[in-house]
Amino acid sequence: MSDFKFTKAHEWVRVQGDAAIIGITDYAQSQLGDIVFIELPKPGEMIKKSSQFGTIESTKAASELYAPISGKVIQINNELIDNPQWVNESALDKGWMAKIKLEDSEELDDLLDESAYKEFVGKEI
Amino acid sequence: MDLKKTPFYQKHLQNKGRIVDFSGWALPVEYKSTLAEAEAVRKNCGIFDASHMGEIVIRGVNAFSFLQGLVPNDLSIINIGQMQYNLFLNQSGCVIDDLMIYRMKNSFFCVVNASNKDKVVKWLNDNIKPGVEIVDKSMEYSLLSVQGPEAVKIIEKVFDCKGVDSEYLSFKEIKIKEEEIIISRSGYTGEDGFEIYLPWENSNQWWDKIIEEGNSFQLKPCGLGSRDILRIEAGYPLYGHELDETINPYEACLDWVVKLNKNFVGKEKLSKVKDSGVKRKRVGFIMEGRAIPRQGYPIHSKLGVIGEVSSGTYSPNISKFIGMAYLDKDYAKIGEEVEVEVRGKLYKAKIAKFPFINIKTKR
Repeated sequence: MSDFKFTKAHEWVRVQGDAAIIGITDYAQSQLGDIVFIELPKPGEMIKKSSQFGTIESTKAASELYAPISGKVIQINNELIDNPQWVNESALDKGWMAKIKLEDSEELDDLLDESAYKEFVGKEI
Repeated sequence: MDLKKTPFYQKHLQNKGRIVDFSGWALPVEYKSTLAEAEAVRKNCGIFDASHMGEIVIRGVNAFSFLQGLVPNDLSIINIGQMQYNLFLNQSGCVIDDLMIYRMKNSFFCVVNASNKDKVVKWLNDNIKPGVEIVDKSMEYSLLSVQGPEAVKIIEKVFDCKGVDSEYLSFKEIKIKEEEIIISRSGYTGEDGFEIYLPWENSNQWWDKIIEEGNSFQLKPCGLGSRDILRIEAGYPLYGHELDETINPYEACLDWVVKLNKNFVGKEKLSKVKDSGVKRKRVGFIMEGRAIPRQGYPIHSKLGVIGEVSSGTYSPNISKFIGMAYLDKDYAKIGEEVEVEVRGKLYKAKIAKFPFINIKTKR
């Protein structure tokens, strides 16, 4: 999991060249409970670090999704819209949300690595 | 304020229940998955801790006439050993609480909402008559609800009684090793099931026995989240959502509870409501897309706001987002197309018949 980076808002980022895939962490999904609805931006839209880029709703409540990085949305996980439970089942893999063309790679420096994130949530991820 | 704990609190922790504050009680909203728990009850069975519910005993030589004079449903139509859904209404004919009344040999056992228990005890005492005694037994009884098609097999074994081979909404008082237990065939899910009132102090052994016996029937501990889904699927109102002190039973589609051929508190007002008709009505609705309608969300017609959501959820059993709402009566028609405002966006929905599932309570 070494190529994963994390935010304190419980998102993950996986860099692939000049782009990155984003999603929410396993800890986040375990706290949210059963996910029933996900709203994602459209390809071509710009998202901005720390701003809302989507919505995720569990049986308990709706929460805002905050962008871990800035950039242009290249691709979204369309299948996830119809299968939101994938976030519960596989937050780091099938539960990926969007692929972003990085706008400022320096933003990556602010992200936590796996051990720092683990320490932050105080439990195994 | 410290949360009150039911006798099963440690069981909830052992089962990794996610504990929340529910009307001052520490109760599990879910163990692992709210949706899986709601499905388990329709498919096999689930066990709920409902010990937070209030139990109020009304007894004395005038207990019957006292209670019959308060409630809109007719207590004379149930026999000893039967129970009845009923309401306490204020003078405006609106709902103070909804409750189940168990008719016992010399008393009435009233099961009220936890959030309303203190209010109801006070209201009963404000209306008390000579020859009537009101006893709050809420801390004497715990309550386990075992619901689902397999529930009957488990309960018959655990309590070693054929007595539960009974009609829906009937109950038995049994004694096992000096412990007095009440078992009713009832519930809040729309499935066949049982509610078991146990002496508070020794309750844990019964949880263990039910779980053990339930193993071979895929019995699942279930939290409040699934309880809410199941009652919405079944079209049952919940106090604080579909019922409160500004809503009358005609608006709530509880016409069948109101018997105008007898006296009760609120009758005068309700007789007028019946003649003039209601302005709003409780309806069920099904969302076309994906979004949970939540309490307070506005509902729109083409012309503007026509009501608001009272409850909503995702139903894993019909795989749809469903809800209940209060709507202007002109729009409260099955098939009517409306839009629900969810976080500033409008989502299409259709007024639907509730219950949303086939009720399978034993008749």
